[in-house]
Amino acid sequence: MAEYLYDGTFEGFLCCVYAHYYNEKATAITVKGDAEQIAFFGELAEIKTDGKKAQIVYRAIENKISAFDLKRAYRIFLAEAPDKEMILLNYLCFGFIKGQAASSYHGLPIVRDAELLEKRVTTEANRFRELLRFSVLKNDILYSEIEPDNNILELLGPHYSDRYKNDPFIIHDVKRSRALIAAGGRWYISEFTKENLPEYHEDESSFRSLWKNYFETIAIKERTNPRCQKNFMPVRYWKHLTEMK
Amino acid sequence: MDIYEKLEILADSAKFDVSCSTSGTQRANNGRIGNAVREGICHAWSADGRCISLLKVLFSNKCVYDCQYCVNRRSAECRRASFEPEEIARLTIEFYRRNYIEGLFLSSAVEISPDYTMERMIKALRILRYDYGFAGYIHAKVIPGAAHELVSEIGFIADRLSVNIELPTEKSLKLLAPQKNAGAIFKPMKQITNTLIEQNGLIGPGTMFKGQELNTDEHYIKDEGLHLDDRARTESYEDKRLASAQEGNRTDAGRSFGTLISMPKKGLASAKELAPASGNMTAAPARRRGKREPFVPAGQTTQMIIGASGETDRQILKLSEDMYRIFKMKRVFFSAYVAVSDSPHLPDAGSAPPLAREHRIYQADWLLRFYGFSVDEIFDDEHQFLDPELDPKVSWALRNIHKFPLEVNKASLDELLRIPGMGVKSAHRILRQRRVAAVKYEDLKKMGVVIKRAKYFLTCSGKYYGTARFEPADIRSDMLGISEEEQLSMFAPAGGKIANGANPWHNLPKNSPAVITGL
Repeated sequence: MAEYLYDGTFEGFLCCVYAHYYNEKATAITVKGDAEQIAFFGELAEIKTDGKKAQIVYRAIENKISAFDLKRAYRIFLAEAPDKEMILLNYLCFGFIKGQAASSYHGLPIVRDAELLEKRVTTEANRFRELLRFSVLKNDILYSEIEPDNNILELLGPHYSDRYKNDPFIIHDVKRSRALIAAGGRWYISEFTKENLPEYHEDESSFRSLWKNYFETIAIKERTNPRCQKNFMPVRYWKHLTEMK
Repeated sequence: MDIYEKLEILADSAKFDVSCSTSGTQRANNGRIGNAVREGICHAWSADGRCISLLKVLFSNKCVYDCQYCVNRRSAECRRASFEPEEIARLTIEFYRRNYIEGLFLSSAVEISPDYTMERMIKALRILRYDYGFAGYIHAKVIPGAAHELVSEIGFIADRLSVNIELPTEKSLKLLAPQKNAGAIFKPMKQITNTLIEQNGLIGPGTMFKGQELNTDEHYIKDEGLHLDDRARTESYEDKRLASAQEGNRTDAGRSFGTLISMPKKGLASAKELAPASGNMTAAPARRRGKREPFVPAGQTTQMIIGASGETDRQILKLSEDMYRIFKMKRVFFSAYVAVSDSPHLPDAGSAPPLAREHRIYQADWLLRFYGFSVDEIFDDEHQFLDPELDPKVSWALRNIHKFPLEVNKASLDELLRIPGMGVKSAHRILRQRRVAAVKYEDLKKMGVVIKRAKYFLTCSGKYYGTARFEPADIRSDMLGISEEEQLSMFAPAGGKIANGANPWHNLPKNSPAVITGL
């Protein structure tokens, strides 16, 4: 038994799964250097990321569990939760026993925990199709700042790069200093800081105020219901929403 | 007048239009900018908690009509404005680029004439679709009375069309919207459904017609035999189909005009033979990148005002059911009447909109579209209104207690869907798990079942978790958290409770145009 340390990548995590099966059992999995590491049970084991081992586990999930569960595993991995690695490991171990039927055990805590984490990620990714605003910069590039709870940036790639295939755009995850950068229907993720960003387009402020004014006008005041509004539009996202600023 | 003021006026005039959904079309970007997502995307929620997914504006609010419930009626004193087609297109594109909106919802007051108004709307949509290459979502209102060709043309540009029915009976319409008539409202509705059939594009609402082929001449709505039938009685839907096929041109304005359209009769002529009757579709030059656009891929919808006239919930839902079964509409939207007028026929200006009633009607509407219910099941003979205290599925289950409790490990999908507190998703999860393991009571909550309602109506591996006695009265009071004494006082003569069958909703209009109870 050992507490695993890994590099925080998905491949690194897959190598933890490999080690869990072929070396000693994992009691905890944490990202190296995240915090001071103290082993409570057993010892600390640093898991080196090895592309081959990762590939073996990747294929095993796809073939022995299902392609659906491979995608699910990846989405769960994008969650921002301290125990996500163990939840995912437990789910995969269960999957290696039950095969593709694993996801049908909705009532089982192992499955339920995985479902909830996945839901957190997909819900937020869907929310950022909604609650994301672009500003137009001087050179006609669209720029957006977001601070999602989970690391969902790449889940936004396909949607936005199709929608704005003729408008180059940058979606900047301010919290993680990463950005989704896209042009001509293609996209990639990169480290990003705001330095050297061009100024806003001259029309930008007038369209913002048109939108704000529209947003206020369209509400029926006889039906005012702030609780309902906040349910759909959580306050933590307001900071980057043009109409709520 | 600058664009700020125009947008303010024409958004303010459009805010009572309910539909803002953007679902029903899946389309990759086949233009310059934009795509459409099947499940729809909302972008913001206004202070009233309603979603904003489309730029919802009127083209103009300079109305020649004087409908009493409407903020834009000719006699109302308000600021008036009209957009230029280019202004609408530009606004839509600029908002869309910034991801404020999912597309455009364009409606209009009747400026000069229905045809003139529709032509101007079409001009705006053409600029948006073809000059700007907009491939996002467009919902357009059809103005009743507009020419056949215009309805056809706009249908090849828009994703969704809607014709507002506004009031549930012809009598209310005559009283409150004298310049409108039911025939003119149903005509474009029929045209849209028939064109969809010709284009092989009719899908229908929710899961109501799941597995059925709708694009056949059987579902084609024929022109002949526009008549009313007796809507208020409670015979089954099939009875009514027969009756309406046999009856002549009876008019009875007090009844709901739900069946102003006769049901399509089987196999009279093929849809293709009938096609010329529905106009010159090929005239619509709706092309983008060399491909012919589909006709309203997201189907058609309509909208009704709740509480401006005196119809019963049953009448309202009956009409909705006809909209689904005959026109195969995707949705019927309901809007609680906001008192904007001091007309003697309407609720007092300033009275609260009937939001609770609207909510219950929407719940019943969901039962129609996704849960296999019919309106005649939702109401029994004594009740013409929904129960304000309990949702319509619970009310139905309490009246049909002999069908319960159902064993979750044995019940079919259709049966599971009838359990209060059970949604479509949770029912499917139960079925999935049942294939590999028995469903335990503790599992239900994790599957999304609302236990506080469902527990009275099910068993898990034979065990019942509800009230001590399996009696509707016990279940009802347990659900509502009523003690035994309170329950008894409900039956006391002056208990202040609602008598069986009476209207439970407040602020109905003073001179109600329709019968309220005991039809």
